[in-house]
Amino acid sequence: MRHVFILFKRELGAYFLGPMAYLILVCFQVIAWLNFWMLVDMMSDPTALTALSGTSDPLNRYISESMGFWIAMLVAIPALTMRLFAEERRSGTIETVLTSPVTETEIVLAKWLAAVVMYLSLLAPFYLYLPFLVYFGKYSLDYGPIVSLSLTLVTAGMMFTAIGVFFSSTTKNQIVAAIATFVTLFVLIVMLGMAHEQALAARREELAEALRYLSVLYQLHWSAAGRLDLRFLALHLSVATIALYLTSKQLRFGRDV
Amino acid sequence: MIRVERLSREYGSVKAVDRLDFEIGRGEIVGFLGPNGAGKTTTMRMLTTYLPPSSGRANLAGHDVLDEPLEVRRKVGYLPENVPLYPEMRVREFLDFRAKLKDVPRSRRQAAVDGVIEQCKLKEVEDRIVGNLSKGFRQRVGLAEAMVHDPDILILDEPTAGLDPIQVREVRSLIKMLGSKHTVLLSTHIMPEVEAVCGRVIVIVHGRIALDEDLQKLKLENSIEIEIRGSAEGARKSLASAQGVTKVQELRRDGDSTTFEVQTRDGADMREFLAKRVQESGFGLRRLDRRRSTLEDRFVEAVRAATLSQAKESAEGDAKRR
Repeated sequence: MRHVFILFKRELGAYFLGPMAYLILVCFQVIAWLNFWMLVDMMSDPTALTALSGTSDPLNRYISESMGFWIAMLVAIPALTMRLFAEERRSGTIETVLTSPVTETEIVLAKWLAAVVMYLSLLAPFYLYLPFLVYFGKYSLDYGPIVSLSLTLVTAGMMFTAIGVFFSSTTKNQIVAAIATFVTLFVLIVMLGMAHEQALAARREELAEALRYLSVLYQLHWSAAGRLDLRFLALHLSVATIALYLTSKQLRFGRDV
Repeated sequence: MIRVERLSREYGSVKAVDRLDFEIGRGEIVGFLGPNGAGKTTTMRMLTTYLPPSSGRANLAGHDVLDEPLEVRRKVGYLPENVPLYPEMRVREFLDFRAKLKDVPRSRRQAAVDGVIEQCKLKEVEDRIVGNLSKGFRQRVGLAEAMVHDPDILILDEPTAGLDPIQVREVRSLIKMLGSKHTVLLSTHIMPEVEAVCGRVIVIVHGRIALDEDLQKLKLENSIEIEIRGSAEGARKSLASAQGVTKVQELRRDGDSTTFEVQTRDGADMREFLAKRVQESGFGLRRLDRRRSTLEDRFVEAVRAATLSQAKESAEGDAKRR
């Protein structure tokens, strides 16, 4: 496992040697700033504040129900993960990596960790603004929901990036990897929620309930309200593990000839 | 150092490599030849553990490619065909990264990287970005990468492809120098390269060995070409009866002059002797030449023979099936 760190450093370095990482980081910074502005705007309006009850709490408005955040995430994750294996397969460097004394698992873990770190750095701007609420707004933060939302966001990100890593390992073409990742994430984040609404309208309660639990949007919504459900974390981590396992199998048996 | 037994690889129904058997000792430089699609790259990929063999065994530096792939990888330096490198890294940074990945201990890493930069003459570009380098430099970076962990075995897939004549010469002399310490298996299409660098040649055709021979021995198979005016029959008798001549073969007849190919015992150079003999026998000597059986001739011959025998075999197979 000692190679993981060496490979991880190179992978992270490769992100910052191209323009992509900077563009995405700036984009998320702008979204965080806009959302923060709207949050402050809303909280300083006493009539709006009374409407903030139950599910529409400030943290949900700030991150997990923000349209801008999800649209950017749906684009950013495929953009960050598509390169990881597809590029190496296209240029043939995968052959030199796989003929070094390194196991497939080490390679997969290193690349995935680099993507996870990139994902976390996208979330960072949102946390950057919170201290301002405390020190300048004299607003007393409730730390429980922040912690539970953060945990769920982290594990959800681990799942998203693992899915991206897997699709990147299946093709030489980065665009194909990006689109496959985008579609899968779109289903997980958006479609399942919509399917839940449909099932509800059709009065299929059990199905609606199942779909609701699978929808990432709902899971984050739930966590942002301060209810930490470990089943969600287990689900995210299981999917991530399976995706990474499949990636290492793909690396071993799906070699280009 | 390298021992291959009945090594085969199939892609679907296509047999890319078909029961290869060979053994390469320490310090040998072996040229691996074959027409395009003969299975050279596939064989090299199996030896470097990139592709698992469909059947058969390959043992490198005492480790089996299937049982101990990581050990094999530690002992083997590999330069793939199109020299894949990370274009965004700098030369020294890249070599350092690869050295770390190949478990070169920290205490020796700096020296190892300095060493290959020196050997491959990369000093002037060590801080440049790999993507901006010329083809020749990139090839040398690839070579430096392959040997940075001081492997026992170097496997080089067309190491001089795309280089200019001066760079080709440099890379060849580098490989020759490496041969004193390492076992080298290199594939190429350039025959003079094999003659200049290798001590032995293995030709494969359609995944099978068509020729496996010492170059020194190949060089011994020389003959003398002689053009004589006069009676062809008489001239042949006169040549054949000379001491040391083992075979006389008529190559072509042109008017009243005939060209013979004369083979001598142990490839001895008997030109003066033959010239004297021809003149003493009253024939006119028009041309006398030493004819080298070039590697290229042997290659073409071996490929043709292998193709013929395999065509025959498959025809027989078809007949049997019917």
